[in-house]
Amino acid sequence: MQDNPLFSANWALTSVVFLCLVIAAFFWSFERRHASTKVITLIATMAALAGVGRVPFAMIPGVQPTTFLVMITGYVFGSRAGFMVGALAALVSNFFLGQGPWTPWQMFTWGMSGFTAALLAGKDKKFKRRSFIILAAFWGYLFGWIMNIWHWVGFIYPLTWETFLATYLASFPFDTLHAVGNATFSLLFGKTFYNILERFRKKCSVTLSDLHSMDRSK
Amino acid sequence: MLAYKQQKKLFHSLRCEVALCYIASLILLSLLFSHPLFLLALFMALNMVILSAGIALEWLSYLKFSLLLIFLITLVNSLFVRAGATILFRGPHLPIIGTIRVTLESLCFSAGMGIRLLVILGAFCLFTYAVSPDKVLKILGGRGSKTMLALSLSLRLFPLLVDDFARITEAQRCRGVSFQTRNRRQRFEKYIPILNTLLLSSLERSFQLAESLQSRGFGIAKRSSYREELWRPRDVLVLLSTVPGIALGVALALNGWAGYRYYPSLQPIEGLEMMMSAFLGLFFIFPALLNWGWEKWQFLRLKI
Repeated sequence: MQDNPLFSANWALTSVVFLCLVIAAFFWSFERRHASTKVITLIATMAALAGVGRVPFAMIPGVQPTTFLVMITGYVFGSRAGFMVGALAALVSNFFLGQGPWTPWQMFTWGMSGFTAALLAGKDKKFKRRSFIILAAFWGYLFGWIMNIWHWVGFIYPLTWETFLATYLASFPFDTLHAVGNATFSLLFGKTFYNILERFRKKCSVTLSDLHSMDRSK
Repeated sequence: MLAYKQQKKLFHSLRCEVALCYIASLILLSLLFSHPLFLLALFMALNMVILSAGIALEWLSYLKFSLLLIFLITLVNSLFVRAGATILFRGPHLPIIGTIRVTLESLCFSAGMGIRLLVILGAFCLFTYAVSPDKVLKILGGRGSKTMLALSLSLRLFPLLVDDFARITEAQRCRGVSFQTRNRRQRFEKYIPILNTLLLSSLERSFQLAESLQSRGFGIAKRSSYREELWRPRDVLVLLSTVPGIALGVALALNGWAGYRYYPSLQPIEGLEMMMSAFLGLFFIFPALLNWGWEKWQFLRLKI
């Protein structure tokens, strides 16, 4: 490993390229599928709202309603919408808070939190409050763990289990704050936000019957 | 509210593609190189460009933030990496970590990686504060992409939602709700109806937005777009320095110049490496030099 001085640099580059490809694949999938104008504007609104949520809490590392908002959107509107809201929220909010090497990682991580929330919802769209809170708290840690990867592969050498654990231990307090924040937001707002979003989801899926064909059938 | 502010500086007036090419080249090279000299050359060049773009204060906030990250990099590398041969400090034996051994090589590696981090952060700082997001979105969303439409809408809605939040909070205050209470829980609870109202009003607005888009014929046919931006001599000049710069960087990396052996002992630095790194830096310092001439000579400003 030490014979190759490019070892860590290559991993840093590879991880970023891989991440960008995954994000691009999700965007491509969103492009290919039909999405009504209402769904597009709703995704944009939820992404902006999730991004705005970062601003008042920017001074408290870890505590922010963004993950919760992304997850609840994914839970109600499905995996694609969940990923899109998460990815766009990260990108948009960083236009105001400052872009950085963390942007693609945040896009991926928040996107995946929305994606997994949709998987939790499954076909039965009832709000599973306890499971949602547990998943949200888990994402508090998972968010930090994924974000740590760029730090570890990009700036630590050699890449050993010891340095890996040390990097992850350093972020543990922030991850815990994030997890507690997510659980609290889910507990306080989960059911209410679910009901509101569910109502709007039904509004999105309203279809208009063809009046002429109805007349003919009479 | 956007971090980007229009300024009468050369970098701000570049075509978006050219600015992005310059920034992407720096990020790519910083990831390719682990040699501290080359990273330092890129860092120096980038610093000059940032200063010439008039975003020194913003860069300072990035630098403050990077201190924490560099501290973490140094901490992990010094305490956990045992590959270095030159021991500077030998500490006590700790249960999990073992004997603490701070080596010169691990400190140098941390410094090198710190510079790499600064180059990457500097490039992103330039992107945030000197490249207009509107121009970026125009390039990406020209073909009517749904993703880019959602992104543009989000970007427009962001300040609107911040205003909404302030407006709803003000309305609650007028109704006698006090947000000054010292009890954090009580204060938090008072924000709950605000957030609910904010969500509801935002979603209602999103539907109005959708109806407005539909009434303007969105989605019926392929979207037409009009974008006319001139290729000016300044764009060509910056591109003519960036492209050979990235080509040189990649060629150096392919020929084994990008790496540097930190462990077990530091690789000696040769004169040729110093020369090549300075040469590479020259390509990337060019926008700063051009900006200097642009500001100094009216004639040059008119010509480019």
